[in-house]
Amino acid sequence: MSSKPNKSINLYALTWRLPIIFWQFIFFVGPVLFMVAMSFFLVKNYRMTEAFEFVNWSKMLSRGYFWDSYWYTVTIAAISTICAMCIAFPAAFALAFRASESTRRWAIFLLIIPFFTSYLVRTFSWFVILSENGVVNGILGYIGLGPYTMLNTNFGTLVGYMTLTLPLVVILQTVTMANIDKTLIEAARNLGCKPLATIWQVIIPLSKTGLIIAAIFCFILSFGDFVAPFYLGGSQETTLPILILDTTKSGQQWPRAAVVAIMMMGTLFAIAFTGIALAYRKRKGQK
Amino acid sequence: MNTNRTLNVILGIYVALIFAFVFAPIIFSMIFSFNSQRFPTIPLGNFTTEWYAKILADPDVWEAALNSLIVSVSTAVIATFLGFCTAYSDFRYNFRFKGPYLALILLPPTIPLIIMALAMLAWFSKIGMSGQIYSIVIAHSVLTAPFAMAVIRLRLNQMDPDLESAAWNLGGSEWATMRHVIIPFCKPAILSGLFLTAAVSFDEFAVSWFVSGLNKTLPVIILEIVQGNIDPQVNAIGTFVFLISMTLVVLAQVFFASRQMKSMKS
Amino acid sequence: MSAPLVVFDKVQKHFGKFVAVKELDFEIREGEFLAIMGPSGCGKTTTLRMLAGLEAPTHGEIRLNGQVMNDVAPHERDTPLVWQSLALFPFLTARENVEFGLKMRGVDKAERKERALRWLEKMGILEFADRDISTLSGGQKQRVALARSLVMEPQILLLDEPLSALDAHLVIRMQAVLTDLQRELGITFVYVTHSQSEAFAMADRVIIMGKGEIAQIGTPKDIYREPANQFVAEFVGRNNILSGTVESVSKDTARITTPSGEFTVPTNEVRLIKGNKASFVISADLVHIAKDEPKGGNKAQCKLISEEFVGSMVTLFLEDAQGHEFKVQMQERELSKFDLKGGDKIWLSWDTQSAHVLNES
Repeated sequence: MSSKPNKSINLYALTWRLPIIFWQFIFFVGPVLFMVAMSFFLVKNYRMTEAFEFVNWSKMLSRGYFWDSYWYTVTIAAISTICAMCIAFPAAFALAFRASESTRRWAIFLLIIPFFTSYLVRTFSWFVILSENGVVNGILGYIGLGPYTMLNTNFGTLVGYMTLTLPLVVILQTVTMANIDKTLIEAARNLGCKPLATIWQVIIPLSKTGLIIAAIFCFILSFGDFVAPFYLGGSQETTLPILILDTTKSGQQWPRAAVVAIMMMGTLFAIAFTGIALAYRKRKGQK
Repeated sequence: MNTNRTLNVILGIYVALIFAFVFAPIIFSMIFSFNSQRFPTIPLGNFTTEWYAKILADPDVWEAALNSLIVSVSTAVIATFLGFCTAYSDFRYNFRFKGPYLALILLPPTIPLIIMALAMLAWFSKIGMSGQIYSIVIAHSVLTAPFAMAVIRLRLNQMDPDLESAAWNLGGSEWATMRHVIIPFCKPAILSGLFLTAAVSFDEFAVSWFVSGLNKTLPVIILEIVQGNIDPQVNAIGTFVFLISMTLVVLAQVFFASRQMKSMKS
Repeated sequence: MSAPLVVFDKVQKHFGKFVAVKELDFEIREGEFLAIMGPSGCGKTTTLRMLAGLEAPTHGEIRLNGQVMNDVAPHERDTPLVWQSLALFPFLTARENVEFGLKMRGVDKAERKERALRWLEKMGILEFADRDISTLSGGQKQRVALARSLVMEPQILLLDEPLSALDAHLVIRMQAVLTDLQRELGITFVYVTHSQSEAFAMADRVIIMGKGEIAQIGTPKDIYREPANQFVAEFVGRNNILSGTVESVSKDTARITTPSGEFTVPTNEVRLIKGNKASFVISADLVHIAKDEPKGGNKAQCKLISEEFVGSMVTLFLEDAQGHEFKVQMQERELSKFDLKGGDKIWLSWDTQSAHVLNES
């Protein structure tokens, strides 16, 4: 793009550039950095005092329950990601390749709605639907099955995660696959590639970047959610978000909650960076 | 091509099931809100408006509704203003550190809400701004500004890059051009951004719960009721919350779509 | 002669390391229709944008009415531009678009409306005054864009390839509209285009630009008959270009040997030295054809390859024994006397004075 006049900093340019810098430094960068600092503070008699001690870190990281909770959260978030990616794929495939342009637009329109509506109420609704005497067991009872215990299990937690992540994953997968050049798929079929092989050999490699990004988002959302494991999983297993919640709300141990939070952020950054590196890595021999 | 048609039917059913799963909790919540059973199941109980009567009689709910309204309207205005400024800066100027500059606005939604909640709570306590309604507004504006930014930036992409220069060329100063060209052009996106950020703010519970103190919003009330036991009042409040946020999101998309149509025509 | 309206004084424009305009030195006279023409990327649009203040020159001065304009903001200049993209405001009606500049200048509402409607009427689109821009046709939008600039009653109007988006038949119509307007208003038009037919049809003077420099300034006739160098000769087209070695030089003429034969050319002001390389052009419409070999003079025998008709004019494409291409342009009814078909051998000839020696380039 060509340069515009008044390239030098002037009042007009600053008016539009500065607000977000000020605002985010005070209310975003500030809180995050303060949280890091806080992880070194001390708590005495339920009061936090500023200090620079590693006691919170050594206490948290040496506790078995922290690591149990850490690996449980990583595992369940990974399972949630795999489930969401697999469940969403056939639907996204259908919307991307079998549906008309307008159907696809309507489907995405509908899937955006839950993303911006109360997740909390939706989770509570599942709580009622899945309960011992709830709708699902009611229906199963008619055909002589059940009742099954679905709440307070990993299954319950996963239903919650799917509620949170599935619409977004279907949207991202659909958009990615809809952007694939259709002639490449026809070419593969023409060269004798069987339908399933086409999915593995052509569609997935071509939409790799978008699929990985969908998976990263799904992992971040599941990893950081406390509602599903709390209400639908019944806190049977403590996830890291629940640990933060408990440590902050009941124990007034903000510095230790900060340690957990920083560990979570570190894990998420590591996973996001690895994922993005994989997504944009060129395959060997690729021109 | 018989197998192909069978496959299409199977895929169609599958997509329908996915949509059923996504919308089941919303629809059941609405149904339960008019159901007389305390523990709703199949078959349903009688039709009742008992739960709505209960929440309407509850002053806490009214207060929370008012708080939610104040928070989401203020958040929408601040976040859309911030989003507009940033989108315009990104559109118009090239400058050093533009990557970090954009990261500043785009990063917050990628950080789990529980972490943002803890960080905001601690920081607001530190600087003496905790427990107020405006604490929630500030926190929400940080979280929602990127949505407004994205919608407005997409709109600016559709603008003829000569349009701004044309206004200067006709004697408009940069400020006048902003007022008479850029803002009118972005108006649908600005409205879309307002509704979208209001919707996100209206539903957010984790950060609100941490920083709100005694000024509870509707999602915080729901959170607290749910912690106790099953209370069908939640369905009534939930239905109300759903209707409001869905209206906001649909309005946002209508403005988004209408301008797509218009740009396609020309 | 009165003082020039615009002066470009050693103007350069760099974008980082890229030099868009190397050095420009020229004047624009009051009331003239000046076309700036060149291939894409030659710096013609940048030149126009500098005049409008949308780009600041890296070096040199631009003066308008004797005043240095370098630091004058675009909105403080009176140099309305008609854009290639038209850049009409899509959220305003046709009339509101025309009113825009007046509004920015603080003209009151009633006068704004009155002047806008007057111009819309002048452009023949009064009936569309309250229509949305998106509902207008290409030609109607074009007129709105013109009215929007002219309603400002400027001394100078800048046009950046304004006809490039129009259908061919509309281009001819709009050319007539533009020349009539310019004559009637008596203001200066600076018209940037890559189309030779547009520039030659409308302009009093033409500037040919190439690679950020002026290749030639002159009337369309000058440029057509006497291109300054090979770049101009090739860009203008419809020229026959011959290159060779200077054989001998006499007082007013020289002999040049080319692969296609030996020819006599007028030397004009170009210094030719025996033994050096030299090129010359003959406009396609100054070449005569004959079935029999003409006596003496400049001539070449060619084979007819193809014919191209544009209206009543026809261009013949021919080739000599060495494979060098020749072009001949003539009236169709004149050609019909010869009864030619593809592959026929014919003789070309031209007057010595028709040839034009190029400066080395």
